[in-house]
Amino acid sequence: MKRDLLIAFRRSATYITPLIFFLIVITFFPLALGPEQKLLSSLAPGIIWIAALLASLLAVETIFNEDFRDGTLDSFFISLEPTFILVFVKVFIHWLITGLPLLLASCVAALVLYLPFDSVSAMILSLILGTFFMSLLGALGAALSLGKSAILSAVIVLPFSIPTLLMGTSVIASAINNQDYTGFLMIMGGMLAIGIPAICLLTVEALLLSYD
Amino acid sequence: MSLRFSYVKLFGKIALSMLPYLKVENLSCFRSDKALFRDLKFDVLPGQNLEILGSNGSGKTTLLRILLGLLKPDAGSIFWLDDQQNYNNYRTFSCFYQGHQLAVKNLLTVAENIQMTKASKNIDIEAISKCISRVGLIDPDEYASNLSVGQRKRISIARWLLDFHKIYFIDEPFSALDDEATQLIQDLILDLNSKGSSFVITGHRPSGIEATHINI
Repeated sequence: MKRDLLIAFRRSATYITPLIFFLIVITFFPLALGPEQKLLSSLAPGIIWIAALLASLLAVETIFNEDFRDGTLDSFFISLEPTFILVFVKVFIHWLITGLPLLLASCVAALVLYLPFDSVSAMILSLILGTFFMSLLGALGAALSLGKSAILSAVIVLPFSIPTLLMGTSVIASAINNQDYTGFLMIMGGMLAIGIPAICLLTVEALLLSYD
Repeated sequence: MSLRFSYVKLFGKIALSMLPYLKVENLSCFRSDKALFRDLKFDVLPGQNLEILGSNGSGKTTLLRILLGLLKPDAGSIFWLDDQQNYNNYRTFSCFYQGHQLAVKNLLTVAENIQMTKASKNIDIEAISKCISRVGLIDPDEYASNLSVGQRKRISIARWLLDFHKIYFIDEPFSALDDEATQLIQDLILDLNSKGSSFVITGHRPSGIEATHINI
């Protein structure tokens, strides 16, 4: 874990690129749609979530590709440690370096898109759960497209991210309308709880397929 | 009576310590209906080496990967010795593997590349320094991206020394090395053999180390 974190911080593009992409997408919408507060506020949940989803996919390629190319991936499977735990650690690191900065950037997005202050906490909670799930899906997509184009992993992952997108936007939209959003958060939490063991195990199998 | 019993105990210990770490029986692998190797049978004994020889594309790396569980064989069995001196079809001890790619990270220094291989929390800096100097590297703070291929290979070799492994699986350890580096590896292999470690290495021709040869 320490090694991967050190490499990630020394390769600043890994965490800066998704952040800048997110902020650029967020700022393009007011430029394209006009500065009308009511319009931007109503579209804010969808805009924030689409930008977060696309930004978190940008660094997906870095999860396994470098390890595959330089042979480090072999040591995953040869060590006596449970491989799915090693995969979970890789996913967690990916979330730390891409998802966590997005949470901070989402506060800027809330300002730009006139999101009501009361719904910011709901937005952050939904992004915590949703971006982690996206990192999980991204890891699976990266494992399935190992050694191939990064676009392929995005194509694999995007359809499966629709439930996360729907739940995430529903959380923020409910918060804006002063409705109860805990149900949506619980669904996202449940998806994550099931997703962590299931997707990690599937990712291990997908990585092993690359050896055939 | 007690003297005879002592001899029996000593003989028993020696016999047990000569049990192969790894036993392979009738191992076969096919690719596109063509046999890469067929009915391979060999043992890897403590402190003894095995050299797998073959031309490019003959299946040497595939054989290593099958032994390590990265690929499944088409036929045959692999048995690993455990701590209770029983054989299982799964491995219970750690092995070292060095493939063609060396697993050296460009964004880490020499010391970091070696240090972060070891999972233990108590990383002995002195041990790492000894490993670095033993393989002829000078600056532990030099980034791997600034090193030549031969120097990067020395980083990988330094990792051999950090922990005790019963078996080292090394894919073409002598390729792209000068005479000095070749002698270094041969000396290290001898040294580790004396401590009970075995080497399973691949190559195009015999490397000159004392080993059983298998041609595929």
